[in-house]
Order: sequence, then structure tokens, then C-alpha cells
Amino acid sequence: MRKQVIALILKDLKVDWRSKYPVAGLFLYIIVLVIIGYMSFANFIKPEVWNALFWIILLFTSVNAIAKSFVQEDDRSMYYFFTAKPGAIILAKLIYHFVYQLALLITAYMAFSLFLGPATGDRFWFTTNLLAGSLGLSSAFTMISALASKTNNQSIMMAILGFPVIIPVLILSISNSKMIILGGGWPDISTNFIALLSVNMIIIALTFILFPFTWKS
Amino acid sequence: MQYLLRTNWWKWACVGLLTYVVIGGLLFSTPRLPILNETIRVLHFHVPMWFGMLFLFLGSVIHAIKYLSSGREESDNISQSLATIGVFFGILGMLTGMFWATFTWGEPWSSDPKQNASAIGLLIYFAYFILRGSIQDEQQRAKISAVYNIFAFAAIIPLLFILPRLTDSLHPGNGGNPGFNSYDLDSRLRAIFYPAVIGWTLLGFWIASIRIKLNNINRKLDD
Repeated sequence: MRKQVIALILKDLKVDWRSKYPVAGLFLYIIVLVIIGYMSFANFIKPEVWNALFWIILLFTSVNAIAKSFVQEDDRSMYYFFTAKPGAIILAKLIYHFVYQLALLITAYMAFSLFLGPATGDRFWFTTNLLAGSLGLSSAFTMISALASKTNNQSIMMAILGFPVIIPVLILSISNSKMIILGGGWPDISTNFIALLSVNMIIIALTFILFPFTWKS
Repeated sequence: MQYLLRTNWWKWACVGLLTYVVIGGLLFSTPRLPILNETIRVLHFHVPMWFGMLFLFLGSVIHAIKYLSSGREESDNISQSLATIGVFFGILGMLTGMFWATFTWGEPWSSDPKQNASAIGLLIYFAYFILRGSIQDEQQRAKISAVYNIFAFAAIIPLLFILPRLTDSLHPGNGGNPGFNSYDLDSRLRAIFYPAVIGWTLLGFWIASIRIKLNNINRKLDD
């Protein structure tokens, strides 16, 4: 199992490394989004707006990054079908997407703080909340991408299936992050943060249980 | 659901309860409360819609799980029909709520967390139907939509029951507002409210059962 997971993660890494254009395209996408945000909000950005804009940019990059994941598997999937366990495949995807999301997150944050100023408030909790939110985003979109890859128009399906489902994660993490940016600490975010973690747990557990059904079809 | 499809007595119960609810809900005396006044009667028509929706979605999820474990086409048909009627109930709940809010909260949409959450919940289920429509192969469609159905139900529970409780809401039982049990739902309202919940839910299952049978007939005709 562990060998399979590592092999699958390395495989995803290699696939992305070989065709660099999609990855490079995503990073460019982030920069363009940030510049558009900068142009539209340049002179009147408040901490709350900063926060909302940042999360929306993360949401869009995340959905675009993960959407292609299962679509590109189509021609290879027959081969996996016989060799790898579905549990290993989804675990590898979840880990890979989380790491991928982190790379995008760091880029987005750097570009964002360059143009629109860095985040204020408690660094530690801001980062922790960001990580928890990204985990939710990447795992929910991984599952949705597995579903959307079976349909006719993947890119639209990804958005309409994914956005409503992701809203609980998004609301919780945006409100936590707003609290922190405005100077709050752990006591202010504790209930929301625990709720966010439990929503993440539910999403990941469901992904594990349900993925084999989508894979075998 | 198989039991409900075979028996009829619950339809009579539904007719009886709803007759009682419509007459009682519109004519019986109600507590006098400021702002609410006579609009308090909406309790028997708006709130049961959401209860009905949740029961229908619950049935839908149970049959989605059944489909995944057994692979019988019948379960997919039931799951899909229940979800359709559930969404219909949700829309009715939304409309009655907005109509009522116009007179009490002052505007149809006051950005109440529970109102927003239920709008998102409906979006999730609309996406379910789009998903069904965009897959050609029947088995594939049933399987993928069953998986999404379970996922959607898991998303709707925190949306409707956890998130609104964490913030301020105008709905009872949220944001420190007391729930139904602790105030203003006095025994006169309760005597109609509980039958209303059961009655409207049964009506939902009734409509769904007609849909299920219609789908079965259409499928047989296609074969």
C-alpha cells in the first residue's frame, strides 16, 4: 500500500514535470488574478476585503489546478485498474493535491503581499487556518474532480458541483481568517476552527469511502 | 420506501392530517405576538416544508447507499425521485419563507445565515440534476450521482444545522436565539405544527411514489 502510494505520487510529479506548460500556466493564472485584484481594489483595500479577495483567488486557483487531475488519467486508467488499489490511488491524489495546493498557496501569498500588502494579525494562526482551509479545498475538489471526469463537460461540472459543496469550508476559513486579520487570537476562532477541522475530516472520510465506487465504473 | 409503495393507508392519514392542518392552521386561535400577529400561522406551512425536504433527502441518501451496495436500478429510481420532490419542497419552503419575511423582517432576503445556507443547499441539489443530465451511460449515471448524492447530503448537514448556529440568525434556535421548545410555540400551535410536519412529509413521499411508478412504467415501455 505505502509503496503504491509513493509510486503514484512520484508518477503524478513526473507527469506534471514532463509537460510543464499546465503548471506554469497555473502560476501565471495566479499572478494575473492578483494583478486584476490589485487593479480593481488598489486604493481602497481594507483588511476585510484583502481577506475575501485572497480566499477567492485561492478558490479559483485550487479549482483550476485540481480539475485536470482525473481528466488526464482517462487513457491510463485501464492500466491502473488492474494494478493499484483505489484506496492507494485516492490517498496518493489527496497528498499530491495538498502539496500542489501548498505550492500554489505560497505563490499566491507572495504575489498578493507584494501587490496588496502582507496579512496583519497573528502569523501562526493565520498560517494554521490557511493550511486547514487548503486541506479542505484540495480534498473536496479531488473528490469532485473524480466525479466530474466522468461527465461530458468537465470544466463546467467541476465548478457547479464543487463550489456549493466547498462553501462550508470556505465560510469557516474566511471568517476565521478575518477574525485573525482584525487582531483576534485563538479564543475568537476556536469554535469555528474546530468546526472547520471536523468538516475536513468528514470530506476526507467520505472521499475514501466513496472513491472506489467512482473508480470501478 | 418499498413498504410505502405497496400500502395505501398512509395516504389516507396524509389526507386527514392535511385537512386538519389547513383548517386548523388557518382558523384556530393563535398567540398574540407583536410584529408576528396572524403571520404566525406560516409555521404550519413554511417550517414543515424544510422538515419534509430533509426527510426526502434522507430517504434519497439511504437509497443512494443502497444502490451503491446492491446495484439495483430500482434504488436509483427511488433515490432520484425523492431528491426531485425534496428540491421541490425546498423551493416551496424558500418561497413561503420569503413571502413571510417580507411582512415581518421587512424584506424578502435579509441575508440571514440560515436563508443563505438553504439557498446553497438547493444549489447543491440543482447541481445533482445537472450531473445526472450530463452523463449518457445509465449505469455510470446512477453510480456517479449516488456518490454525489451522499457527498451533497454530508455538505448540507453542516450548512443547515451547524454554521447558522455559530453566527447570529433571525431563525429560532440559532445564534443564541432560543429554539422552538423554549418560547412562543405554545400548546395551541404545537397541536397543529406536529401533525403538519407529518402530513406534509407524507405528501412529499406520496408525490415521490407517483414519480417512481411513472419512471418504472416509462422504463418498461422503453424496453
